[in-house]
Amino acid sequence: MKKIISLIKATMTDNMNIFKIKNTNGKKTILPIILTIVCMFSVGSYANMIIEPLTSIKSEYILLSIFTIVTFFLTLVEGIYKSSNLLFNCKDDNLLFSLPIKRRTVLFIRIFKFYVFELLYNSLFLFPAMTVYAINVKVGINYYIVSLFMLLLLPIIPIVISCLIGGIISSTSSKFKFKNMAQVIVTTLLLLVIFYFSFNMENILSNFTNNASHINSIITSLYYPANAYVKMVTNFNIIDLIIFIVINILLLIIGIYIMSIRYFKINSKVKEERNSSKSKKYIVKVNSPKISLIKKELNRFFNTPVFMINAGFGLVLFIIGITLICFKFDSITKSFIMDGEISIKEINSYIPIILYGFVCFTSFMTSISSSMISLEGKSFNILKSLPVKSTIIIMSKLATSVLIMIPVILLGDIIMFIRFSFNIVEILMIIIGSIILPLVSETIGIIVNLKYPKMDAENDTEVVKQSMSSMISVFIGMALSFITIFVLVILLNVGVSNILILMLINWFYIIIFSLLLLYLNKGGSIDFNKINV
Amino acid sequence: MIEIKNVTKKYGNKKAVDNVSFNVNKGEIFAFIGHNGAGKTTLIKAITGIHDFDEGDILINGKSIKNDNIECKKDMAFVADNPELYENMTAINFINFICDMYEVSLDDRKKNIDKYAKMFEMEDKLGDTIKSFSHGMKQKIAIIAALSHNPKILIMDEPFVGLDPKAVFDIKEVMHEMVKDGKTIFFSTHILDVAEKLCSRVAIIKNGKLVKVGSMKEIKGDTSLENVFLELEE
Repeated sequence: MKKIISLIKATMTDNMNIFKIKNTNGKKTILPIILTIVCMFSVGSYANMIIEPLTSIKSEYILLSIFTIVTFFLTLVEGIYKSSNLLFNCKDDNLLFSLPIKRRTVLFIRIFKFYVFELLYNSLFLFPAMTVYAINVKVGINYYIVSLFMLLLLPIIPIVISCLIGGIISSTSSKFKFKNMAQVIVTTLLLLVIFYFSFNMENILSNFTNNASHINSIITSLYYPANAYVKMVTNFNIIDLIIFIVINILLLIIGIYIMSIRYFKINSKVKEERNSSKSKKYIVKVNSPKISLIKKELNRFFNTPVFMINAGFGLVLFIIGITLICFKFDSITKSFIMDGEISIKEINSYIPIILYGFVCFTSFMTSISSSMISLEGKSFNILKSLPVKSTIIIMSKLATSVLIMIPVILLGDIIMFIRFSFNIVEILMIIIGSIILPLVSETIGIIVNLKYPKMDAENDTEVVKQSMSSMISVFIGMALSFITIFVLVILLNVGVSNILILMLINWFYIIIFSLLLLYLNKGGSIDFNKINV
Repeated sequence: MIEIKNVTKKYGNKKAVDNVSFNVNKGEIFAFIGHNGAGKTTLIKAITGIHDFDEGDILINGKSIKNDNIECKKDMAFVADNPELYENMTAINFINFICDMYEVSLDDRKKNIDKYAKMFEMEDKLGDTIKSFSHGMKQKIAIIAALSHNPKILIMDEPFVGLDPKAVFDIKEVMHEMVKDGKTIFFSTHILDVAEKLCSRVAIIKNGKLVKVGSMKEIKGDTSLENVFLELEE
């Protein structure tokens, strides 16, 4: 036990840097605290909105079952993204596997690290919901005890499932020559299946005030922890609590045992690099420094599964969403037209704004550049020793990220332009938006990454999914997309024409981009040079 | 040549390099030695423009690394102690990348890559991805990449670590060849025998301070470099 505690302490030290409220210059920053408060406040407000109608039918407990299932899906999706990279082929493999400890212990330590992060992630959603419930319902001490155990134990089931899936993904992809690509494809397919089910769940929940008790019975019958939580909150029984704790711990032990059977074998297989023994003729090519830097960044992107999945998944969803709108448009609009709420002409007139909103959401929620500096890791010194201006290096990263995003977004635009009728000015405005919005998003990403670099990550997942930079970029992106969509709706409601709305928003973001670029030119280089590896 | 003038580098309140001054002349092999944590890598990173420093200046062929770092870097090549290369690239793509950064012409890079790849017995491996390489092979690729742009000054941090005996011999040959062409070599090492046989001048650093600098003859006198170093460490 002593050994395990020492190992956990040693392996967690680096990971916990994210929670230090100091930036690279040693200056204190309150940004992480502000972001946590904002996130919890937003979730709390949302929970408050949900509980209001539930209070009238005295079914407040449904809030808890909804948040339990939502966090299950969130943790599961997060887990599938991360598990392959957090469990396999880690930098400390050689150290840990050479120690006189069981291989199962190494697996346990890695799952424990994973658990701690998911626990904190879950708390962002569950804690506000639990607080809202406690404010709205007269609760006793039992509620707090049960909720504390729930907070601690709820991540276990999704973590065990996602680790098992991660093991399957790694085992499957290790059999292919192009392991990274195989990992990206298998993970993306799995995530799409989960998204399909969670979207269906959203459809069920969309009319939940009318079917609240029906929804609750679906959730509680499908997901045991939700059932247990509601049961213990409404009718506390210590036996139920003990059973719940035992079941979760047993599941964790069984999960670790199952994974440990093939863990070491999969881990060794993942590390294998297949190079042909035949001598290959190599090609010497000449490129300009800028092109060469962009090619280097593209190589990094397409060889980093977690990076590709994280960035690419939003873009894949964008194309799927656009395709669904195109094919299902008539059936979606039918119900509105039949209700007499709106005419088909009116719906058609909103299409450019809907598309623009969609482009905006995709652009701001896909931040590729927010990991690009951190992913350099120790090789950052290569860049710093090159006879190339730091602005060129920074701009090449920015150019790469928009080169990945813009063509996909433009492809979605073209599909919409073909399916629906747009006038030429609307087409032009949407194309400008599809270029300027990714530029703004990616410039913010790189500025944030220069301010909050994580150069000592143990693996790429830590950078892409758990670094301060990626989290801040997601928060900023989320805020910007919601504000922009809100402004779009407001302007549409006050009768401003589509073209004027798109023009105004485009102009606004062109100005923002120019200001960001000005800052990046000067401040970016300073931050770049301050990063010491 | 390299002129290091009163350079001080602090990490917080601790001086990692404390008011260090010495010159490395054109056409000499210069060894930089010191115990672990003495400040060797910090000073090397300052010379190569990787890290900034707090006081003093470093001139590379008369140009300040602080004010004119791009021009300074054009004259230099750097081989780090731990070759952290771009693991997903093939070796040839990495070398091409470095050549692109130094704007090496196609003919020059072909000539240099062929020459050094053959010398380090890596010509069959250039098409493989770097992540499949051992530490020594990565080190060889880092050295080939550094030499491929024909630098005037070669700076290396512990270049012999992880290399096989043949590669160590080859590097020493390359160093002699470069010096004959009037180029400058500055490297840190813990292998004092090699430093003693190879270098014309040496500097010894201890706890961030320069304790000795001069020709190998002056420094070691009638004894060995190892003895001098151990005496200084006591």
